[in-house]
Amino acid sequence: MTLMNRRQALKHMLCASASSALFTALAGKLSLAQAATRSSRRLLGDDYRALVCVFQYGGNDALNMLVPRDAAGYATYSTSRSGLALPQANLLQLSPSVPPSGGGSYGLHPGMQGLQSLFNTGKAAILANVGPLQYPITKAQYQAGSVPVPAQLFSHSDQQVLWQMPTAEAADRRGWGGRLADLFFSSNPNQQLSMNISIDGENVFQSGNSIVPYFVGQDGVDGIYFVNQEPWNAPRRAVFEALRDASYSHAMQREYANRVRRAMDNETMVNAALSGAPPLTVTFPDSSLGRQLRMVARLISSRDALQMNRQIFFVAQGGYDTHAAQLADHPGLLSDLSASMSAFYAAMGSLGVGSQVTAFTASDFGRTLTINGDGTDHGWGSHHFVVGDAVQGGRIVGQMPNLTVGGPDDADWGQIIPTLAVDQYAATLATWYGLSDSDRALVFPNLSRFNSPNLGFMAAV
Amino acid sequence: MRREIVRLWLLVFWAFAVTTANAGDHLFDSGFNEMPEGPRSDAEAARFLTQATFGATLAEIRRLRTIGYNAWLDEQFALPPSLHKPYLDAQAAQGLNVYQNARQEAWWDRAMRAPDQLRQRVAFALSEILVVSDRSGAIEGQPFGMAHYYDVLLQRAFGSYRELLEEVTLHPVMGHYLSMFKNRKPDLANNIRPDENYAREIMQLFSIGLVRLNNDGTQITQSGLPVATYDQQTIRGFAHVFTGWNWANCPRTDGGQWWEWEWCPSGPQGNTGIGWLLPMQEWEQYHASEDSKTLLNYSGVALPGGVLPAGGAAGPNLEQALDNVFRHPNVGPFIARRLIQRLVSSNPSPAYVGRIATLFNNNGQGVRGDLRAVVRGILMDSEARSLPTLASNRGKLREPLLRQTHVWRVLNARADNNRYQEWNAEFNLGQAALRAPTVFNFFLPDFRPAGELSTLGLDAPEFQIATDPLIASTLNQLGARVYWNWRGNDWQGPEDIVVDLAPWQGLAMRPAALVDAFDLLLMNRTMSPSMYTLLVNHISTLNPSGDQGRERIMDTVWLIQSSPEYAIER
Repeated sequence: MTLMNRRQALKHMLCASASSALFTALAGKLSLAQAATRSSRRLLGDDYRALVCVFQYGGNDALNMLVPRDAAGYATYSTSRSGLALPQANLLQLSPSVPPSGGGSYGLHPGMQGLQSLFNTGKAAILANVGPLQYPITKAQYQAGSVPVPAQLFSHSDQQVLWQMPTAEAADRRGWGGRLADLFFSSNPNQQLSMNISIDGENVFQSGNSIVPYFVGQDGVDGIYFVNQEPWNAPRRAVFEALRDASYSHAMQREYANRVRRAMDNETMVNAALSGAPPLTVTFPDSSLGRQLRMVARLISSRDALQMNRQIFFVAQGGYDTHAAQLADHPGLLSDLSASMSAFYAAMGSLGVGSQVTAFTASDFGRTLTINGDGTDHGWGSHHFVVGDAVQGGRIVGQMPNLTVGGPDDADWGQIIPTLAVDQYAATLATWYGLSDSDRALVFPNLSRFNSPNLGFMAAV
Repeated sequence: MRREIVRLWLLVFWAFAVTTANAGDHLFDSGFNEMPEGPRSDAEAARFLTQATFGATLAEIRRLRTIGYNAWLDEQFALPPSLHKPYLDAQAAQGLNVYQNARQEAWWDRAMRAPDQLRQRVAFALSEILVVSDRSGAIEGQPFGMAHYYDVLLQRAFGSYRELLEEVTLHPVMGHYLSMFKNRKPDLANNIRPDENYAREIMQLFSIGLVRLNNDGTQITQSGLPVATYDQQTIRGFAHVFTGWNWANCPRTDGGQWWEWEWCPSGPQGNTGIGWLLPMQEWEQYHASEDSKTLLNYSGVALPGGVLPAGGAAGPNLEQALDNVFRHPNVGPFIARRLIQRLVSSNPSPAYVGRIATLFNNNGQGVRGDLRAVVRGILMDSEARSLPTLASNRGKLREPLLRQTHVWRVLNARADNNRYQEWNAEFNLGQAALRAPTVFNFFLPDFRPAGELSTLGLDAPEFQIATDPLIASTLNQLGARVYWNWRGNDWQGPEDIVVDLAPWQGLAMRPAALVDAFDLLLMNRTMSPSMYTLLVNHISTLNPSGDQGRERIMDTVWLIQSSPEYAIER
């Protein structure tokens, strides 16, 4: 796969999947996809562009991340959130360049100084109340069941997928980052290294039809020591490679052998590039997320050596499933998020790619408006950050929800009904990335169900 | 000679898909009086032990061949559990500080040398279904409690799934991990509703799953779509049931006032922490008794309409709710498939799942949820015992942790200090006991890597952690433990876990016999002729006298363990 060009890859896919339902789907799209590549690529130059997905596993309680500060809004919030409400005086003031739709003023969780500053200087935007939807939906429609909603709402594993996939109905779990990469990977001179790199292991977001993400550890990549290039390993290495490269009739054996081969091939290349890049001048937090983003920054700083024009990265932070002890556990997560993303922003500036790299957050779901004592339960809509110099920042995009328990945005039991679809959020990022209008439906087939295919928080391409 | 026979046999097999008896084997075979149910060869015995233990050893192969599967299983079912917590207690008694490290040591010790291997292996499988993890701040400081939780899995491994579910539900470690501990009835004036965490995961992950299943594990569909097993109302109903549970033996001298609930210690003065070892106990004042509760509704449900009437007490309500979950027709196929995936293969046929689900539903004596019958059924099923095939829908990727236990058992690894201080296996192997990233385990049961396996529609859970860094670190770890950590090396410290190569040095003089031996012990004699030839030729080029043939043994073991043929257990 790695050395094939895109057309061959698609052809290969078609052959491999000739007996499956995927065949029909792909066959129909093949000509579209070929056309798509050309029109999407017209927009690119020889410039560099990267998207970085920061996934907050567990379901971030964004209702305690972005909190009303004005008297009326805060009163509603503190009534609804009772024992978990943050003190009004501790909220970090946001000074949006455009007043939020619906008015009011908002503050960030204390400890998020980094993102506060990026927002207030126009380098970060906040997306209000985003979530997976099949169609726009009102509370009445939700309660009557008259408009379809994604299956298995409020389940971790399912909503993680819904956030990473372009369509809630798709049977094959290919993420929108993967589908973008299907269209763009041929623009990278380096066709061996995957366009999509994850520092946090497997995810749906980065898997495409012909794209498989490459996985890097948060502190780099290791080779297989006992078959490295030292001369004394040569005989062993020869046997190892012969076994690895033999043809296998069991599909899992093939998959495993391919992975070993890829790990070895890429390690040599990636380590050579990383070791040649100048050291980063920005210090990252020594947290898992900080180290992951640091590795992304190092890979981006090696982009020329790696010959990459287009990349999509995935990093993640765990621990957001705050059913209990939320007041103790949540602050550390958010301050880590803020500090790590700010450091990453600074690093991109220092590398001179501040406007070419955009980082954005995603999470399983938001959490319930109501509480369970010392924590919150699985919700639906949530707020998210987009960070970078290409972001039309300093704005809260969309409609902040009404935080009244049983109010118009409360689905029924404290889950907030999203007013923006993940599709819209993702498509706006993808458009900035270079996805052409004509290709949009390839990646986001449901987008036309929603009013604005582009939410306007990214600079025009 | 033997290799010729195997080659011939493989040819026959490939050509005609014949599933007759194995052509026999010769290396260790010494005329056993075979039991009618088998095993009929060392290879069959080794394969069974790969599924039923943490790794086949020569001694266990011999024993299994002598007594047969049935007697071996009976013996294993009867062995008392080698518990983990006593290992921690012994360390504490020596004045050692006990952290999660000690719990990992206990796990390795039992995996390596406990006689009740089947129980240990099944408990490990259960620990990947009924997941708790010390990565959670709520329980990371509780090595004793977590070891005790593991002991519950051990003690109940061959018992009733209903009883296991209840003991897990009321265990304070699970109570803290999924926050049922101190979950309380609604206080609508303060917008407090019961915590839904345990309600959701006991159904999604521990019993029935998200969608309705046929008895064979396939999905029931309506208009081509799967049918959800429950909705938000059901979650709410169970969330209300799971309210009102606190430490055991809370002092209630003031009549159970709120401060007593809030500040109940985890044990009496001088013995705080004992509560971690005792089932949580109910407080009626904090139980949502007032409301009726929508539970699961299914054909044959005991509660009318699946609704638990208002007014019950916490204990009886919990019993009825657990019965309501346990009697759901999904539980059999759901648990059957998961246990088969952990022990035998990633893509069991619907017929196999159906047979095990039927055993779960009724062990033959009218008992539902008898794990002993389920485990026996899984291991003795024709699909587990039929000859290994190269069909892609059979077999599974070996879990990294089991690759390490496997080679260590085969090579009798131990440390001079008699401990297994393997504290952070997750660094290199991506796994350690009770250390999954979330309650969704290290990998999802229906994970399919993008690419060919997805296209073929094959589940391959373990591939979720077969990422580039973990592939390299796993092979490096396995290599280091053979090439560097061997008994007698000059740098060996008392805590180093070292493999014993000495017993193999005689065989090292005979490359073909050496490869044969490890083909049996590591691959149940499934090695292809071409791989066999490559290895024998390579081993033959190494100087047999240089390091007394040590490198021959090392290369044989590691090249097998790092090969695609070994990686996929068939």
